[in-house]
Amino acid sequence: MTLWQARVFNQSSLTLSQSYLQSVRRNPVQLYLPIAEIPVNIFVIFAMGGAVGFLSGLFGIGGGFLLTPLLIFSGIPPAVSVATVTTQVVASSASAVMTYWRRKAIDLKLATILLAGGVFGSLIGVILFDVLQSVGQLDLVISLSYVTFLSAIGGLMLFESIRAIRRRKSGIAPSARKPGQHNWIHGLPLKVRFRRSKLYVSVIPVVGLGAIIGFLGTILGIGGGFMMVPALIYLLRVPTNIVIGTSLFQILFTMAAATIFHSMGTKTVDIVLAMTLMIGGVIGAQFGARMGQNLRGDQLRLLLALLVMGVGLRFAVDLLLVPEDFYSIAIRKGAGA
Amino acid sequence: MIRFALCLAFAIFGASLSLAQEEASSKDLVTALSSDTVSIQSNFTGTEIVIFGQASDIERAPHAAGDFELAIVVEGPPQDITTRRKGRFLGVWVNREAERFRNVPSFYAVASTADIGDIAHRNVLDEYRIGLNHLNLAVSGVSNVPLSDRDDFRKAFVRLREESDLYSERETSIEFLTDTMFRTNIPLPANIPVGDYKIKSFLFNRGDLVSQTEQTLAVAKIGFEQVTFELAQNYPLVYGVLAVILAIFTGWLAGVIFKKD
Repeated sequence: MTLWQARVFNQSSLTLSQSYLQSVRRNPVQLYLPIAEIPVNIFVIFAMGGAVGFLSGLFGIGGGFLLTPLLIFSGIPPAVSVATVTTQVVASSASAVMTYWRRKAIDLKLATILLAGGVFGSLIGVILFDVLQSVGQLDLVISLSYVTFLSAIGGLMLFESIRAIRRRKSGIAPSARKPGQHNWIHGLPLKVRFRRSKLYVSVIPVVGLGAIIGFLGTILGIGGGFMMVPALIYLLRVPTNIVIGTSLFQILFTMAAATIFHSMGTKTVDIVLAMTLMIGGVIGAQFGARMGQNLRGDQLRLLLALLVMGVGLRFAVDLLLVPEDFYSIAIRKGAGA
Repeated sequence: MIRFALCLAFAIFGASLSLAQEEASSKDLVTALSSDTVSIQSNFTGTEIVIFGQASDIERAPHAAGDFELAIVVEGPPQDITTRRKGRFLGVWVNREAERFRNVPSFYAVASTADIGDIAHRNVLDEYRIGLNHLNLAVSGVSNVPLSDRDDFRKAFVRLREESDLYSERETSIEFLTDTMFRTNIPLPANIPVGDYKIKSFLFNRGDLVSQTEQTLAVAKIGFEQVTFELAQNYPLVYGVLAVILAIFTGWLAGVIFKKD
């Protein structure tokens, strides 16, 4: 090799290493996710966690039903989004559970039986998740479920909050619910006494409710508090001062189980993504909670109802519009699928 | 660190090239890579690999249609990839037909000195899998795709891989530094799959394969990314429990920090 040729090589090596270093410096906010196997903008993810945390603090909700769609729409693979949000829900419910624990506002017996159902439902959820992924219908089931549940619950909340606002404006006091009302659920066998909730009710609806919430939570990446709380109040007649603590306790441990099941089954829990979301989430939640104290309950519920319906509609649009690309590809392995 | 590694790679290449110089009369083609490993860390946003080489005795007149042509193929580890097509079902767009491509490269890039079709006869290109039109896209036996639509699936598959930068055809991207020495850059995007890559260089004379070389490039996660990924793959229970502990700890810590009373 002549001297001249050697110089050509040295020059090219220099320009190459310089351009490479520049490209690294240009993207200082990119963070490579080890399980999703893609780089993401760390501030965008952090902001998403923060914004959803803010809303969850504002409305007193878990926020999974907002966070999972947000991640999916921003390009994180649906399987990774769902599994990772189950971990995030563990973090966001952990500190709240501790508060309710100190106030002794948890019916442990009721929560444990709900949890038994929840773990079972979660296990079935992960198995189904895997099956749906292999036949290529996971995205469809996630979208359809979001459309169904969010529009139904959002619609009910919207209806209820408008009625409450009208009632407040016209000055009519809401009629108090009569205690001791019974419905068909109270006629079921295998009754158990829950002293803390002052209930005597069959375990069948309790286990069933836990299983449904655990199943949906695992497939959709949501805690399910927005379904659990109304169900406990209206179906089982659990006193309102115990409902939230009990529901949070069940969600915390069901989602912990879902995280472990997803880690073992789908292998799509991304710990780096989860950590970024958690930190953004817990900070946002503090600001949300403070702001929420200055807003009226019925106004908050109206806003939340619109938000819930908006997310549902977004999924519906994707299902109904002619897709831009009819084809898609999927790799059958843990992540990136 | 990267600069040092690159310099080292070039130094080694220089040494190997001067060695190769001595036996150049017997060897038509020698190639070397700027690096034989690509490490994926938390700041990984893609990189590029530089392939250098010398094709001795090719007497290639620059700016003239030469008798000699080069093609360099970078191939990632094989994967099974499913391509699906949406169709309308009860008013909703859902995945209907699916075609599974078996053992297709997870990454494929080809660089050449001329249009791929002009380098060699298509039988030769098919045999050595040079060019996106010459990949062996074998499908699994079970499929609900009608025979007449199979080609649409192949085209869609290649197009989608191209859109995600995992397949590329870079015709006339091999650059000659001297009459016999050449160089080409192959960009590796941020979403490249990990594994052992094969880099095959082919030298053609009037459509006949004269010489070829093969090298390997290891794409691997290192450090924290590697530990996390391997834990998740090999000890999923430990990984899951760890994720839960981390989440509960974060929640608890937040509760302590932001305690109101």
